Amino acid sequence: VLADQYFLIAHEDRTGRSRLHPRATGLGLAAALLSELVLEGRIGVADGDIIILDRHPPGDALAHDILDLLIAQPQHRDVRTWLAFLSQDAAGRVGERLMRVGAVEPVTRRRMLSTQTLYMPNSAEQRNAAAWAPARLANLLVRGMELTISDRVLAGLVAATGLTRHVLYDFEMHRHAFHSLPSAVGSLPSDLRELIEYTEASVGSALTVGRR
Amino acid sequence: VTAVGRHHRTRYNTDQWAGRMLMARKDAASELDIISRALARNRLGVPSVVFFGVAGAAPLTVIIGAVSAIYAFNGNTAVPLVYLVTAGVLSIFTVGFVAMSRHIVNSGAFYSYISHGLGRVLGVAAAFVALPAYAMMQIGLFGLFGVVASGVLGALGVNASWFACALGAWALVAVLGMLWVDLSGKVLGVLLIAEIAVVLVYDAVMVANPAGGSLDFSTLAPTQLASPDVVAMMVVAIGGFVGFEATVVLSEEAKDPKRTIARATHWAVLLAGLLCGLSAWAIASAAGRANVAAAAQAEQTNLVFSLVAPHVPEALISIGYVLFMTSIFAALLAFHAAVSRYQFALGREGMLPTAWGYTHPRTGAPVIGSITQSVLALLVIMTYWLLGLDPLLYLFAWLTVTGGLGVLILMWSTSAAVIGFFVRHRRRENVWRARIAPVIAFLLLSIILAATVIGLGEVLSMPEGSVFRWVLSAAYLLFALLGAGWALIMRVAKPEAYAMIGRGADGRTLSEIPEPRRPHSHADPFSTHMPSIK
Repeated sequence: VLADQYFLIAHEDRTGRSRLHPRATGLGLAAALLSELVLEGRIGVADGDIIILDRHPPGDALAHDILDLLIAQPQHRDVRTWLAFLSQDAAGRVGERLMRVGAVEPVTRRRMLSTQTLYMPNSAEQRNAAAWAPARLANLLVRGMELTISDRVLAGLVAATGLTRHVLYDFEMHRHAFHSLPSAVGSLPSDLRELIEYTEASVGSALTVGRR
Repeated sequence: VTAVGRHHRTRYNTDQWAGRMLMARKDAASELDIISRALARNRLGVPSVVFFGVAGAAPLTVIIGAVSAIYAFNGNTAVPLVYLVTAGVLSIFTVGFVAMSRHIVNSGAFYSYISHGLGRVLGVAAAFVALPAYAMMQIGLFGLFGVVASGVLGALGVNASWFACALGAWALVAVLGMLWVDLSGKVLGVLLIAEIAVVLVYDAVMVANPAGGSLDFSTLAPTQLASPDVVAMMVVAIGGFVGFEATVVLSEEAKDPKRTIARATHWAVLLAGLLCGLSAWAIASAAGRANVAAAAQAEQTNLVFSLVAPHVPEALISIGYVLFMTSIFAALLAFHAAVSRYQFALGREGMLPTAWGYTHPRTGAPVIGSITQSVLALLVIMTYWLLGLDPLLYLFAWLTVTGGLGVLILMWSTSAAVIGFFVRHRRRENVWRARIAPVIAFLLLSIILAATVIGLGEVLSMPEGSVFRWVLSAAYLLFALLGAGWALIMRVAKPEAYAMIGRGADGRTLSEIPEPRRPHSHADPFSTHMPSIK
């Protein structure tokens, strides 16, 4: 699933830490969750607003939960509001979902004053699967293969949140991929493209302020 | 009515009541705004935003550093009045400024207001003025820090030149800037409250022990404003208020963007103005109006401490020195962040090379902007050291005042932009906010700016006939022209990027992702840009 893939790309497989500024990761995950609903035809995005197209609950529990919330709070339609809201706990919720499918395990870390639950791949098998997520995307982009719509959104979010260098780490080998990336994003339907643009803008302003 | 009938009616009533309850609960449910509440929990209230705003222009730095410097170099005793009047002018300016901030999504800094109100060409020109202005303010503070730290270390028996201390601070700021460590929130708040407490205690002591035994209010006489020199001194006072631009940057982080920011900005201006004005007056009363200039020249940044030392325990003076140093350091860090943030926003908008729009993935630090500012600061500090110039007068006073002139130019053009913005559409703001206040602010700032450009030489006590009397103002004009020219070039060469100007960090679409650099950003031979999406 989209947000799962993004989660695995955005977190270090050995430490479970976010590769990006935590707020950027949160926004990327929030956008991935909303994209899942767009891909399932439940919501649409137009002129910065989220529109509910189909109230039927999606199969996935997390997607179901978010759609319910979108329906229950009709006074908020702004994409950026929802990105900000969902980004607050997106890492934990997507982590839980990954845990349910057995891709990660919860690890509780004691920090100075609080405890923190990280979701990280623990077994060799899980690590392999996690490392495969960015490699798979890089592979697709490098070979110039036809990307599914979900993978194109993933590539867009990776670029929008600043993970491109992590996915396409080898400058020589991946040079071609940098050129195919914009066209992959550009060919997306307008709601998904808009969603990616808003994500990028939100990441930009979150980073400008520099708060955690 | 029979018993059965009554029973029926009761039951009927109960039904009605239950129905009403359900209806009421349904209404309440739709009013229950989970989203806003969850977002507000993580966001900044008025006090936090004020802290951010005031901490940039750390009050202790301004009061002990700037105020005594003005007394020393200028000899004019209208300083208290100047701070109060400047606060008044900026309060009026804030009315329109904040009103406009409500209508610009994610407004970054002054230059984005100018590009919204007066057009993109002038917006870029303003950005080109802002960059050197803020950069100079930060670099100037290194001079103050060096002198103060070397004095404090000297008292502890460690012999360190101002240059060594400035370099130490420089290294720390450079590293913290790269790590994007924000002394935000609690640390900043605690420091600020401690600073304000110390300032108030010192003020009380100074007021309680006036020179000659009686309080002197003549430094507050409004008639002093008739002199153009005094008006020109307001540029120095502007330096004490620069932080309040930062409050608007936080509009996306505020609990209620519409109200929190407006209140916080007003508070930041008033707090800084009253605190500085009161302290400047207290200093003049304690030293005596006639002696304050001589005392300031003799004691320099120790002026306040030497005035209160006979009346307070030793420990309080030591605390004051420590807080003075931390306050300058906090200001250094805040300005460093402001400058790199500016460069980041400009890089993202495509006005600077795209490398400036790059942030460190994990920390989110605008790396290139941070390095640029650090290198620039190092070069300037080295130059001053090699030339053996007095760090307090030539580094601190000259650079911060010149930076203040740049900020004044920015405020002045922003006030014009506010008028321009609301002339086109009043956007449901009332007449005072959209029309009267901006016009008054523009007129007052025009007077101050004109007086400053004419009187800058006097303020900095430059010798008669010195080229610096006009070269500084001319340099800003040159920068503005460069910016305008660059904007015109961009309009032809990169129309998509040109259209994005003024959107701050929000700008930049995916079509303009720069080709990523290698990890560790070594110089790489490839700097080709991706073809944009057509």
